[in-house]
Parts: sequence; structure tokens; C-alpha cells
Amino acid sequence: MSRSITLGQYLPGESLIHRLNPRFKILALLIILVLLFSLQTFGGLAVLLFFALLVFAVAKVPYRFLLQGLRPVFFIALFALVIYFFFTSGGVVLLRIGFVTVESEGVREGIFIVARLVILVMFSLLVTLTTTPLSLTHGMGFFLKPLSYVGMPTEEVAMIMAVALRFIPTLMEESQRLMRAQVARGADFETGSIFKKAKSLVPLIVPLFVSAFRRADELALAMEARGYMIGARRTRLHEDIITARDWIALTFVMVLLVIALTFGI
Amino acid sequence: MFIGTEKLTHTYMSGTPYAKEALRNITFSFEKGDFALIIGPSGSGKSTLIQHLNGLLRPSSGRVFFDHEAIGSDKHKLLQIRRRIGLVFQMPEEQFFSETVFDEIAFAPRNLGLEERLVRNRVNDALHKVDLDAGTFAGRHPFQLSAGQKRLVAIAAVLSLEPEVLILDEPTAGLDSAGRRTLFNLLTNLNRNERLTVIISTHHLDEVAALAGPVLVLKDGRLVMNGLAADIFIRRSELDELGLALPPVTEIMHNLFEAGLPVNMAVYSLTGAKEEIMKLKRRRD
Amino acid sequence: MVSTPNAIVEAKAVEFYYTGEETSASPALSGINLAVKQGEYVALIGPNGSGKTTLLKLFNALLTPHTGEVMVEGISTDCEEKISQVRRMCGMIFQNPDNQLVATTVEEDIAFGLENLALPSGIIRQRVDDAARLLDLEGLLRQPPHLLSGGEKQRVAIAGVLAMEPRCILMDEPTSMLDPAGRREVNATVRDLNNSRGLAVIHVTHFPEEAAAADRVVVLSEGRIVGQGPPEEILTDLEMLHKLGLQGPTAVELAAMLREDGYPLAPQLLNSRELVDSICSLERKS
Repeated sequence: MSRSITLGQYLPGESLIHRLNPRFKILALLIILVLLFSLQTFGGLAVLLFFALLVFAVAKVPYRFLLQGLRPVFFIALFALVIYFFFTSGGVVLLRIGFVTVESEGVREGIFIVARLVILVMFSLLVTLTTTPLSLTHGMGFFLKPLSYVGMPTEEVAMIMAVALRFIPTLMEESQRLMRAQVARGADFETGSIFKKAKSLVPLIVPLFVSAFRRADELALAMEARGYMIGARRTRLHEDIITARDWIALTFVMVLLVIALTFGI
Repeated sequence: MFIGTEKLTHTYMSGTPYAKEALRNITFSFEKGDFALIIGPSGSGKSTLIQHLNGLLRPSSGRVFFDHEAIGSDKHKLLQIRRRIGLVFQMPEEQFFSETVFDEIAFAPRNLGLEERLVRNRVNDALHKVDLDAGTFAGRHPFQLSAGQKRLVAIAAVLSLEPEVLILDEPTAGLDSAGRRTLFNLLTNLNRNERLTVIISTHHLDEVAALAGPVLVLKDGRLVMNGLAADIFIRRSELDELGLALPPVTEIMHNLFEAGLPVNMAVYSLTGAKEEIMKLKRRRD
Repeated sequence: MVSTPNAIVEAKAVEFYYTGEETSASPALSGINLAVKQGEYVALIGPNGSGKTTLLKLFNALLTPHTGEVMVEGISTDCEEKISQVRRMCGMIFQNPDNQLVATTVEEDIAFGLENLALPSGIIRQRVDDAARLLDLEGLLRQPPHLLSGGEKQRVAIAGVLAMEPRCILMDEPTSMLDPAGRREVNATVRDLNNSRGLAVIHVTHFPEEAAAADRVVVLSEGRIVGQGPPEEILTDLEMLHKLGLQGPTAVELAAMLREDGYPLAPQLLNSRELVDSICSLERKS
């Protein structure tokens, strides 16, 4: 039933992109983001778009996942296009309907903004599709490590995040089932005032909390039984080794940066 | 047909790359007053199927019928259906959220908009049906009850709808043998005396099998067997292949029959088995 | 205190109270003397609240006794520095398949215990692969736990314990939330590990048929051991079992009912095979 959502929608695979170190992928994403927002020309965007499609191909991700991932932004993109097409002026007038005009500047800016958005989503998708949520968490944990020197328990926080990720689909399925069970008893979560709707959530929230606490208890016991101890040193199955592959890929991104800047700014 | 489906198919997340077909082309019907079993290994689609019967889930294609009418999406009609078809989920005591047993059982009639006086009657009736003394239990906190009592209260919380049909998903899960016996008696009473149509979805066959009329067997979302209990439970090796087990006592009867002894295999209780075997001895003497 | 030779886990004169109940007249466990030998399969049965789960938790130092001692391979569970070792020797499988799986993929979950032991990544990889192969989980290594069946989840839990190379597996009603196929899967797996690898097993169960497969059955009631012995002895003592509110295996119960009505069956029938054979030979004699 919850084959539905896996947060971040990780797609198992063995491609080159899958095997890159998550720290590198996060770094690369940040570099590309900065690049994306400093480019001014279509040429630069085109290079990035080409690069994105190339990486998708190398990652062997079927295009339907790309389309699926872009679905949520479809309406935002459409909305942005409408705003820019009809309400931004400048340049040559292309179309006149009544007193609404479509001018070339508006069209240009609209397409630019939407292209940027799409490219942004594409690169984010690339990272989440090829990196397990857990690896991402550990990757981010690496960048947050400095905080452990000021007393933040980064190891434990990483464990908490990992466990949370593990249970999100399970809890979602449970809450959906619970909701239906209460609806079977005549509950109505949809109609009524804000106040009524809030009150109707009690039969959902109380059981979910009770169940969550029970789960937490049982899980903690199981973790202890398997030797987990707070503060103790732990190793990992998947070590974040930085290989030559990662350096090569980083070089690639740098080269791209240079090309895009040359074409771009 | 009183309750049933026609070519029911249900696909989760259809249209996405994660689409999964939970049910395919299911057609069946039960009559009023039936005591029916829907059996199958876990993951076979039983829970998905029963949630269609009271409109909680909508088919991707095909239709669901109740009382000779197809179930549509009209909200008002759906509420009416849920008055008449009560659905008890697996481990129903996990839905508890009230401070008293009374409030927990009153949840359903209150949702129906009944006035408090009628609600009180419904609660008392429901407690009576599950054989729990209202005086003792109505004011207790649900979390303080024993496992068996919690289960009974959870069922009472659906019975307070005063449904004509009661559907239960794995009603004996987590109960000890005394609890299972109590449940068996309750279901017998509800079906025979109160004339409720009872539908049980389970992977665990025990004495309840003795009460069954129609039986559906599901596997991987498909209906693989549809018939009367006596005809279905005879097919032991097929059931075994599906990952289902007959009640241990029925297995023994099957083994005796296969060894050449003339015993009736449609036996689901220890007493029944004893009777059959004693018949053999009496025939000898 | 002198250890029983060949014992993997041993409880000696153990008494246990839950916190807050130390002054209570009825401890959760009292007078427990139990030694489980290498390779032995022990079933632990008893009514709800008899202390079965509590006793199990004493064997892997999740709890420590109030008085008396629990030893695992000669190490006392009281010894805080050695707790990690104790928990490695005695792995535990819990009843709820979901609430014992920690990681986002099967292989990472199997690795969890090894990660806690701070073993090098290469060794972890090897042990994970070995355990997965033994339990037929190789195709599922990258799967997230929520997509697995109940039986598969329990096998992952067993793999996780196995990867730590324990001497004993403790199981708390591991099959009660599974369907018949899942139950068969898990029971067969554990019996196989017991036979082929000499792993000692302590299995808390309320299924009499599962207890019948053990080498020894131990019966608990109100925190005390009220009986122990081979299954043919314990599970056929219906008087004792019924007094505690327990059922014997179906074949045993049926045989008793038949004997009551005058059917001349031998006294210590344990399983349906024996019962069917007995009835057949009695019927055929005439």
C-alpha cells in the first residue's frame, strides 16, 4: 500500500552517478545552483540543460521519472509563464488582445525563469533519485560536523534522521489506515469549519501518538539488544570513500562551470 | 445480490511509475444473512477488497454493490452505507482515543448525529451484545482493559452503528485461545440470533470455519477459489500451496481420511473430531 | 558460583522485580535456575504475565537480576564493560517485525549490529553478504523494509542477529504476527540454524506446536519455573497445562478427549502423525 511514496523517490541502480560520494553530489548541486542563478543568457542555460540530460542518461534513469518529478512544478511554471507573458512589458509587441499585450521581453523573461526552475528541479531530482535518503543524511551530516565542536550531538541527530526516514512510509501507511478506520465509524474529516475540522483530528492524533510512542519503545529496546550505545564509536557499512571517480566528476563540473561562465554571464 | 462486486480492479498510485495492482477482476456476491469468509495469505488483497465493500476505497474499474445498488461516490449515500455496513479493522483497539469505554462506543452514533439519549441506548445495546456489563465497563478507561476486553469494546464501537452487515479483518489476531472462543461465540450469536450478515477476512482458520457458508480465496489480488466452505476446505493441497493452513484438527481428519478411514472431513472443532472418531469405534463394536 | 559445564547461558537463583515494585510480595521472577547448553533448543511457555519475556531480557542484559546471577558464556550480565559482548553472544528477535528494523534498506539493517561493534567496513560487508545468503535475502538487500512481507522482515531480523556470530538466539514470540506461510518460513529457518550451526535457541511461544519441536520445554507461571522436560513429557501433561490456562498441541488435546470416551490410545502421543498412525492401526486391527 505504501509502495506509493518513498521520500526523495530513490531509484536503486548501479550507475556511475549512483556510486558517486553523496558529499560530492551535494557539493556539486550547490555549485550548480549558484551557477544557475548567476547565468544571464539562454546559452548558459542550454549548456546546463544539456549537462542535466547527459547525467540523466549516465544515471540510467528512465525519463518517466523525470516527467513524474516535474509534475509538481508544472502549474507553478504555467502560472509564472502567464504572469510574465501577459504582465511584463518591454521590447516588441507580439500580440494584442483587448488591452492585454504580450511583449517580447515578457516572453523572454518568462521562458528564462521557467527554464531555470526546470533545470533546478532536474538537478535536485538527479541527486534524490540516485542517492539513498540515508546517504544524503550522512552526506549532509558531514557538512554539519563542525557543529559537533560546539556541543551538538551530530552522531545522534544523524541516527534520529535515519530512523525517521525509515519510518516515514510505515507511519504514513498507518495514518491512512487509521483515517479510513475512523471514517468507517462515521468520522468526517472534510466538512465543517476550521474549528470543527481541528476537533475531528483528535481520533487521528491520539492513536497515532500512542502508537508512535509504543513503536519508539520497542525500537529502542531492539537497538539496545543489538549493541547500540549512545556515545559509543560506530562504523558504517557504506563508508563515504572519496575515490578517483569523485575527483574526476568534480573536475567535470568545474569545467562545466567554466564553459557556462564563458558563454553565460 | 446483497453485497458483492463485479469485475473489481484496484490499482494503487495508478499512472505513476509506482503503480501496483492490488485487486484484479474480482466478481462475487453474498446473500443477506450469510456468514462468509475471505481467506488468503498476507498481501493477497483481502484488506483492500473489504474496504471497497463499504465505500472506503473506490474501484479503479468495475463496480461494488450493496443491497442491489451500485455504490457511487455520492457522499450522503456513502454515509448511509456506513450506517448499514460496519467494518472492524485489524487490531481495532489501536484506534482508541477516548477516556471512557462509553465515549469510545458512542463515537459512531454521535457521528451519525443521533441525540444523546439514543446514543446512550446504542452504547448499552452494543455492550450487551458483546457481553460486557455496562455498569462495570462503561466508565473505565479503554487502555486499562485486558486484550480480550479491548477487542470486544472495539467491536462494540462498530456495533453501535447498528449495522446490517459486519465485516471483520483478522478478528482473532493477537488473542489467546480463551479470547478466540469468546469471539467465536459472539460472531455465532450475531449471525444466528441478531441476523447480521458477517464477513470475515483472515489468513488464520480455526473454529470460525465451521460457521462459514460462502468462502472466497484470494492470491496476489486475484480470486482463485469461490464456493461453499465444504467444497473449498476439501482442497487441502491447493490451500497449502497458497500458503494457507486448515485448522489443525481439520488436518487430522484429512490425514485419517487419506489413510482410508471413512470420516467426515468438514470438522473444525475438537469436539466434532472426537465425535467422528468415536463413530468409527462404535461402528466396530 | 560454579557454572554448569557446557552452558551457553545460565540463570542462577535469579530474582527480578520491576522498578517501583521492589517491596512487592510477588516478584516478576523468583528462584530461577536455568541453564541452556550449547546447541540446545529450549521452548519457554507460560500464561500471559508469567515472566517469559522478562526472563528472555535477562539473558541479553537488557535487564539485570535483583539477586542471583545471569551468565552468558561465563560472563556475568552485571558486568557493564562487557555488555556489548553479552549482546553479541545472545541476539534477540522480537515479536513485531516492523519495530525492530532500524535502517532504510535491508543490507543496512543487517549491518546495524556490526556497525555498533565498530567493525571495519570490509568485514561488515562480508558478514552482511554471508548472512543474506544463508537466509535467502540476496535479492532483497537494497529494498526498504516497508515493502517486505512479515516473514521476510523477521528473516532480516534473524540475519542481523546471525551476522554478529552469536552463540544463542533469543526469540520473543517471533511468529505471532505472521501468516501461516511466514510462520513456517521463520520456524524452518530457526530450526535449520539450530541444526546446522549449533546455535542455541530460547524460543518464547504460545503455539504448542512450536514448543513441540524443541529439545526441552520450560514452563513458567507467576515468575517461577513450574516444570521442564522434553516435549513428550511436558506437552502431554494436560492437567498442568490446563490449570495454567494453556492449551496442549491439538493432537494431544484430541487424544485426551478420545481416551476419556474410552478410545484406547497410548498415553504419550505428541503430534498429529503419531495420533493418525495410532488411530489407523487401532481401526485396522478389527
